[in-house]
This record gives sequence, structure tokens and C-alpha cells, in this order.
Amino acid sequence: MNDLADPGYSLFIVAFAIQLLAIVFLSIRNERTALFSSSIVLVIGLILGLISTFSSALFSSVEIPGRTFFSNWIRLDGLSIYFIFIIQLVAIPTTVSGISYLNHYIDQKRSVKSFFIFYIILLISTQFVVIANQTIFFLVSWEVMSMSAYLAMILEREKEEVQRGSFYYFAASHVLIFILYIMFFLLHHQTGSWYFSDYHLSFSSGIVVPLIFILSLIGFGIKAGFIPFHFWLPQAHPIAPTVLSAFLSGVIIKMGIYGIFRTFLFLKPVPEWCGWLLLIVGMISAIFGVWYALAQHDIKRLLAYHSVENIGIIGIGIGIGFIGSANNLSSVQVLGFGGALLHTLNHAIFKSLLFIGSGVIYRNLGIRNIELMGGLIHRAKYIALFFLAGSVAISGIPPFNGFISEFIVYTGFFKTANELKNYYPILMLMFVVGLAFVGGLAVGCFTKVNSVIFLGSERREVKRFHSSIYDYVSLGFLSLLCILIGFYPQPFVGVVNKVISSGFLNGNSSSALINIDWHYFTLIFSSLAIGIILLYLLKLKLEKKYGRRTSAAWGCGYENLTPRMQYSASSFADELNTIPKTILVYQKEVEISDSPYPVSSGFESHSKDFVDYKIVLPLFNFLRSLAARIGFLSQTDIRYYIAFILIIISIYGLIAFLWV
Amino acid sequence: MENVLSILFCLSLFYVVVTSRVKAYVTVLRFQGIILSVLLVIPFIYNFSIFGIILPATLLLVKVFLIPGYINKVILDLDIKRRIEPPIQQMIFLPLVIATMIIVFLASSILSKITELDVIPFASGFSAIIIGIYLIIFRRKLIIHVCGFLILENGIFLFGTAVASELPMMIELGTLLDIFVVVFLMGIALNRIRGTFAGFEATHLGRLKD
Repeated sequence: MNDLADPGYSLFIVAFAIQLLAIVFLSIRNERTALFSSSIVLVIGLILGLISTFSSALFSSVEIPGRTFFSNWIRLDGLSIYFIFIIQLVAIPTTVSGISYLNHYIDQKRSVKSFFIFYIILLISTQFVVIANQTIFFLVSWEVMSMSAYLAMILEREKEEVQRGSFYYFAASHVLIFILYIMFFLLHHQTGSWYFSDYHLSFSSGIVVPLIFILSLIGFGIKAGFIPFHFWLPQAHPIAPTVLSAFLSGVIIKMGIYGIFRTFLFLKPVPEWCGWLLLIVGMISAIFGVWYALAQHDIKRLLAYHSVENIGIIGIGIGIGFIGSANNLSSVQVLGFGGALLHTLNHAIFKSLLFIGSGVIYRNLGIRNIELMGGLIHRAKYIALFFLAGSVAISGIPPFNGFISEFIVYTGFFKTANELKNYYPILMLMFVVGLAFVGGLAVGCFTKVNSVIFLGSERREVKRFHSSIYDYVSLGFLSLLCILIGFYPQPFVGVVNKVISSGFLNGNSSSALINIDWHYFTLIFSSLAIGIILLYLLKLKLEKKYGRRTSAAWGCGYENLTPRMQYSASSFADELNTIPKTILVYQKEVEISDSPYPVSSGFESHSKDFVDYKIVLPLFNFLRSLAARIGFLSQTDIRYYIAFILIIISIYGLIAFLWV
Repeated sequence: MENVLSILFCLSLFYVVVTSRVKAYVTVLRFQGIILSVLLVIPFIYNFSIFGIILPATLLLVKVFLIPGYINKVILDLDIKRRIEPPIQQMIFLPLVIATMIIVFLASSILSKITELDVIPFASGFSAIIIGIYLIIFRRKLIIHVCGFLILENGIFLFGTAVASELPMMIELGTLLDIFVVVFLMGIALNRIRGTFAGFEATHLGRLKD
């Protein structure tokens, strides 16, 4: 217990205690006061946690020691501290934005106290998941995390879509934990220990270790949302209250990534097929994630599909790292894992930013369908600006943070091609093209989102658009982080490099990640930014001199334009969505008349999830029909059940008797 | 002596199978209660102790007077029909029971070669368990279900004495309390059911299914 003497770690424990203390404040009778005070206490706890994380070895120049506490139940190594940093960093703005978002539920006379209790439990159990070193403790924390998220998700439980979406989440969590049980019991069976720090297996012998790897990929992959295990994600994330969906999409799905990294640390070095598997799964997730997103009209559903895309990019990074690990190439490993880890942080930041932004819109408009929005930039200039920052970051456009991590992944591709000559260059080139394609589609998708929501004129009249200081604080904080990591990535890259060198590598450490000339990025981006600011100032000056001319947009020769005569999101994305028609299950309803007179005509497009619609639902329908076939066993009379019990017991007795 | 009592116990089971009077079930329960009490007293005939007599006395009180008396009261209070209409022919039920008993006795005699047990009390107890379940399955009246359950319990009791020469007293007392509570609850439940359903047959309870 002398660990507690260390000020950094005692602060760490105090932070947990204060976060738990936030529950007590919910006992205040007045909902608003309770919510406000509880949020503030929670944020203080999170900030203290963040300070203790900052004071840890991760951000200093010394090696990360990987210390254990509480008779080996908790272990803080580089990976744990990094993920706990992500959790605390993202939890602060989501909690702050929750103060204004949840007040809108209180306005509707809906109690949010139960939601907030489960939200706090979710935050704490998520932090426990990443620091757990004991298998049972890990699994229990994991289950508490999943179930508290489920219980918080069903805030609006009387809505049918909420019941449906949360059930998807519930079922997926159940399957997942079952697979994790098998995986960890196999690990225990192989090593005879319950502690993570004792799990060291090598791939060389037997079928069990590959089995463990595959199970971890499926189990943690369901949580992370790799295609084809993503089907629950676009169902569950839209229906959750936005505070929760920001945290779910930003952090909780990263727990799957954490699990995959953790399994890698158990099994390293992995053979090369593991890397290819993750590369291919990641590439499919990235491409089809963004393509599905392009076909959505529901803003939160669209963002959920973008999570699939970004998880795919992270998976690609991990895949490169695995290939480096198989070939004993530290430089490739550092670039692959570095890209994946940094993208995990970046995605957590900009995805929660986008979700909180969509929450502000949903709170004011009461709709999630982007086809009914429009012109919101005139109502909420800063919200539009913050949302644009998030969109640019998620599309991987410089100078924002998404670009930095994707750049590392690209460098990883070229490094792999360079180091392992042979047929690697051509394969890597294919992946480079694939990733570039993903980036292009993401730009297309967010062009659609931003222009349809914020530009143009209002398709449906907005009575009142209210955004509070809490929205600005949380969105501003996240946007600032996006810009900061984009302009000045050195410290973050250093942290990531340190995490990787503390246990990931099987050879010497490599400086491939640090040696990228990051200061050029700062220089170029800064001069770019200064140039833009100067041009803007020039514009202002010229405007002052000559005045600003405003007029209506050109109507292509039509008169009496109405807001309905705008380019819609469906028609924007139609061309691109028609290409993978079968996989997107993309259906169009076009209604055009040949009459020379203007009569009513229409266009509608819908997309369903291939995995959900063609695999999961048919599978469950099949199971249901199978269950209906043995429905005769379900009698109304208890006597039948007793007869069944008697029959079964006689059969067992007979077997036992013959056995003797 | 134990064997004779066990066989008497088995014969009472046959009676329970062929009778169609509800009263007869209660009588059989009393009879079985007496047999079990006597069985418990036998070991204490030669070395008498006051503690040894507590259990048989409680057994006698509960199984011969309290429970059957209570069931009789329930029958009178709720005005349950005194006769049952068995859904299965006696001519089929009796051979089924006889066949079961034959199998159980044969199996017990084979088992006795492997482990040490008194064949006749063991097999009688086992038969009572199975016949108790049969009664629950093949009779519709809820009050007969209770009787079947009590016969099953008696069987377990006899079974227990055959396997372990002396069960700890606390366990036996616990079992007795258990049964008493169950029967008591049954009385309350039947009273409740009267308010909801017309009859006291298990088939009506199907309406409770969700």
C-alpha cells in the first residue's frame, strides 16, 4: 500500500472517489440543481483524473514502469494510461454539454436522474475496464459498462425505435461477453493465471492461440463495430440521448480497440496472417462504413456509420502494426500502431464533437432527418463553425487532427512497401488507394451534411434556436483540441510513441514516428492559417470600403423559389450510392411525369444495412421459426411440464444406471 | 420390521392409485404418516432417550393431524367435489404404476450390490416419489396435486432413512417445516383461485399464461 504515498496515484484514487461522489448530489430534490451540481462534481473528478494522468510517466521523459496496485488487480502501463486519458478527456465535454442537453428533457417533465446515475457508473466502469489487470475484475467491469450504457440508453423507453435499437445493443453485448468469457478462460487454461501481466503466449504451438486471437477479434470487434459485426451500432447510437451517444461513439467502441491491443500484448509477436486479416477487415469497414453513411438521412445514424469507417481506419493501422510485428520491423510497427492509437484519440475527439453538435440541433428542431433541416447557419453561427471543424477533421483534411493520424497510417503503408520489397509495394499501393478513396467519400459525405443542414434556406420553419454556454464550452474545447493536434502534433505523437515502446515492440525501439518532420507541418499549417486570416481581413476591409451586395441565389430560370426547391441530400448522394446498390440495399422511388406542365414529382431513396437486413434478421427469423416448431412443448398446463421433467430425469437415470 | 412397514407403505400407494374419493387421499396420508413415525421410533425402543422421541412426535403431529386436518378443512371450506373424474383409466394407470414399481425394485436390488442400502425401504421410497409425480401429472384437481406432493415428500423421507441410517435431526425438522409451509400456502392460493376461477382444476390455470 505504500504506492499510495505517491502523490500522482493518490490523486488518481481521489479522482475516482470524487466521480463516485457525484451520485450523492443527485439526491437533491430539484432536478435542475441536482443535475447541475452532480455534473460539476463529476467534471471536477474527471479533471483531477486528467491531472493525475498528465503527471504520470506518460507525459514525462522517463520510461513507463507498468506498476501494479491492490494485490495486482490494477495495473497502469502505457496502454492503460493512454486510454484512461482518452476517456477522461472526452468525458469532460460530454458531461458539460449534458447540462444543457438534459435540461431539455427536464423541460419535457422527464426525470433524468436515473439516466445520470447510469451515466456516472458508465464513466467509472469504463475507466476500470482499461486499468483492470485481473480477468474477472475486467469482465465484471466490462459487463457493468455495457449494461449501464444499456440502462442509460433507454431514457425514452416508450418510443418503439428506442426499444428496437437498445435491444440490438443488448443482444450484441450479450453475444460479445459470451465470446470474451470463452477467450479469457482459454487464456487462463493456457497460462494458469488470472492476471493479465502473466499472459504471455506464443503463436508457435497448437490451435488454441490462433483460436484466442480469432475470438478476441470477434468479441472486441463487435464492440468496436468492424464490418460485419457493426450492425448494432447504427441501430443503437441514434436512439441514445446525445450525451450518451457522443460517449458511446467516442469512447465505448474504443474499448474494443483497447481489447485488441491488449490481446496483442498477450500474444505478441503475431504471425502475418493476423495483420492481413485486420487490414482487410479494416479496409472493408472503412469503405462500406463511409458509403453507408453517405446513404443515410438520419444525422446520428450517419455519424454512427462514420464511426464504423474510422474504426476501420484504426483497424488498418493495427493491421500494419501486426505485419511489422510478424516481420520484426520496429519502424513499421511504430507507424502502424502509432497511426491507430493517435486516430483512436482523434476520432474520440471529433466524433464526440459532431455528436454533441447534432444534439444541439436535435434539441432545437426535434428532428434527426437532415432532409428537413437547412439554413441553420443563420440561426447558430458558432455551432455551424464548430460542426464544420469536426467535419473537416473527420474527413482527414489538413490542418486538422484527422489528417495527422491518417498521414501516419499512409506513411506506414509506404514504410511497409519499402522495408519488405517483394510483392508488398503493389499490395500496399492498393491499400493506399483504398484509404484515399475512403477519405474522398468522407469529404463527399460531410459536404452533404454541412451544406444541407447549415446552408441554403430553412426547409421547415425553425421557431427558436437556443444554444447555451455549455454547448459552446464543450464544442469549443473539442474544436480547439482538433486544431491543436493538427497544428502541433509533436507532444501527442511523442505520447503515442512512448506507449508503443513500452511493451509493444519485440525488437529495438524505433524513432520512425518521431523522426517525421512534424515541425514542417506546424510551419506550413501556420502560414496557411495566417494567409487565410489575412485574406479574411482584406475581405472585411474591402467590404467596409465598397459595401456588401446581397441578392437571392440564381434560380435556374425558375421564379417564385420556395425552400423545397433546394438540392436535397438524397439527390446529392444518389450518384455515389447507385454504384454499390446491392450492398447498400439502396432503393429509389422516382416519380417524374412526361407532361409538359409542371405537375408534382418526387424522389426518395432508402438504404438498409446489408448485414442487418440480409444476414442477421433472416437468421433470427429462422431461429424463431425453429422455436415455433417446438412450440407444442410450451403448454398451458403445469402437469405437462412435470411430465417432461419426469421423462428427462428417467432418461438421465437410465444413462447413469447403465454407466454404473 | 422396517421391511414390513415399507411394504405396507407400498400397499397404501396402490390404494391411492385406484381410489376416486378425495377423502381417501387424506386417509392414506394419515396412514403413511403413522408408518413413518413408527419407523422412526423403532431404533429408540431399546435405548430410550427423550431427544430421540422429539422427531417422531413432531412427525406424528404434523403428518397425521395438522396437514390432513388442514386439507380436510380446505375441502369443506371450499366445497370441493368429493369425487374425482380421472382423465386416465384406472385399468391403464394401475398397470403403469405396477410396471414402475417392478422397475424400481429391480433397479434397487441391482444397486444394492454396488452400494450398501436397505432394498425394500429404498425402493418403496423411490416408488412413492414417482407415484407422487404421476398423481400430479394424471389428476386434474389441484387438491390432489397437493396430496401427490405430500406423498412425494413421504417417499423422500422413507428414501432418506434407507440411504443414511440417521439423518441429522435438524434437517428432518426443516423438511417438516417446509412441507407445512407449502401446504399452508396452498390453502391460501386455493382460496385466492376460488375468487378468480370457477373450478379447482389445473387446466383452468392455463389462462394465467402470458
